[in-house]
Amino acid sequence: MRLEDVWLRYRRGGPWVLRSVTVEIAPGEAAVVLGRNGAGKSTLLQLAAGILPPARGRVDGRPAVVGWVPERFPAGQPFTVQGYLTAAARMRGLSRIEADKAVRGWVERLGLGPFQCVRLPQLSKGTAQKIGLAQALLRPPGLLVLDEPWEGLDAAARELVPEVVGEVLAAGGRVLVSDHRGETARLPGAREWTVADQTVTERVPTGERAMVVVELAIPAARVADAVHRLRAEGHHVLRVRGHDAPPPVTRLVSGAAVEESS
Amino acid sequence: MIALVRFRLSGFLRTGRALAPVLAGLLALGILYGGGRAEPAEAYGVSAVVLFPVLAWQTKILLDAEPDVQRRLSLVAVGPARERAAGLLAALTAGLALIVVALAVPWLVGGVATPTGPGDRPIVVGLALGLWAHLLALPAAVALGGLASRAITRSAGYGVAVLALGVVLALVLGISGPALGWLAPPLLPTARALTGPIPPVTGVLLTGWALVWAAMLLAGYAQSRRRRA
Repeated sequence: MRLEDVWLRYRRGGPWVLRSVTVEIAPGEAAVVLGRNGAGKSTLLQLAAGILPPARGRVDGRPAVVGWVPERFPAGQPFTVQGYLTAAARMRGLSRIEADKAVRGWVERLGLGPFQCVRLPQLSKGTAQKIGLAQALLRPPGLLVLDEPWEGLDAAARELVPEVVGEVLAAGGRVLVSDHRGETARLPGAREWTVADQTVTERVPTGERAMVVVELAIPAARVADAVHRLRAEGHHVLRVRGHDAPPPVTRLVSGAAVEESS
Repeated sequence: MIALVRFRLSGFLRTGRALAPVLAGLLALGILYGGGRAEPAEAYGVSAVVLFPVLAWQTKILLDAEPDVQRRLSLVAVGPARERAAGLLAALTAGLALIVVALAVPWLVGGVATPTGPGDRPIVVGLALGLWAHLLALPAAVALGGLASRAITRSAGYGVAVLALGVVLALVLGISGPALGWLAPPLLPTARALTGPIPPVTGVLLTGWALVWAAMLLAGYAQSRRRRA
């Protein structure tokens, strides 16, 4: 998918929000959109998602199924969680049975079970944000656009975002994420797009140097052999620990950073 | 797209916003039929004129019931063209329901005279002509309501202004006679035609006139929405 010399402003004669933006993202790739408040991150994301049409230039190769997670989910609607998600699935062309299945799957995964019959206006901000996430994933998206997806989410749900992103990428989808709090350390290997002065500049990930931490569970008896084999294949084994108390992924990621710099 | 039409109609009904235009419509019809009995087709002709602003207002309320971000979510789900079409279809459906109410009301309040002489139109013909008159008003009303909706006008003040201006222009130009009358949808000409026998040519002309206007207004709505998500 490619944005080719795209210009955008909200009204004719108004100031340009984006000028001559050209960026490209391939299947299986993620891009993190960085920038100050009001720099135009959300605008760029909505342009990519097809919500805002460009004033000049064009957007090529947008996948048929797009999932967009807005910065704030509009919870002021007269539906229950179940009713809303089922309607969203039906809107996306799923049959009644498929819709029920997809909704059940995401309700379970996001821990929305207890809220199924709760009306949207009564949800807490974080739970409403999860509905926003769920509706974008009911059909596996070819392009997933996440606008500040970590806002308001609890620790458990925060871990879920990189997981979901990984799944979309593995299925050949593209992912765009905006972030102003540096949470994107959780998305190693992503392209970095910085929005500033109405334009977008890209910092390509430094290929070989981009590191990812993989957690493995190995029978204790075979650990020495496994570590030896991984080292022989050129992997960097950070440490070996007991399986009982898994620490949060963040500590491992920062551990990797410490490991690299020392 | 049908799923989105259903979603929007149910949002409109569940928020209770559907009540206001129905009450306004009933009030207007109550005043209209409070004056005495009239021949069905003639009464329905005036009813269609009276209902035109109510139908436009109902459309605006229906389209505005959905939060802006939800409208964008729906747009991402079904694509821009279908998102717009689904909104108009939902409004047409709600409009048809109001028209059914409007056709029934005069019989409930005793506002129509049953045919007595051999020159009077049979009840079925009166009903059919009434339905025709209301159907001519509906698309233009829906398009006007769409043009006044928040997606296009962005603020409540502009929205009401567009709605009021549209209704006033439609009525004033309609009253002003044939010289300027074609500048508005044929609301009053239809009502006038229904007071007497309607030759087929007049019927076809009025229908064509209404369709051209509806097409123009709907094209205007689609064009205005192109730059406004």
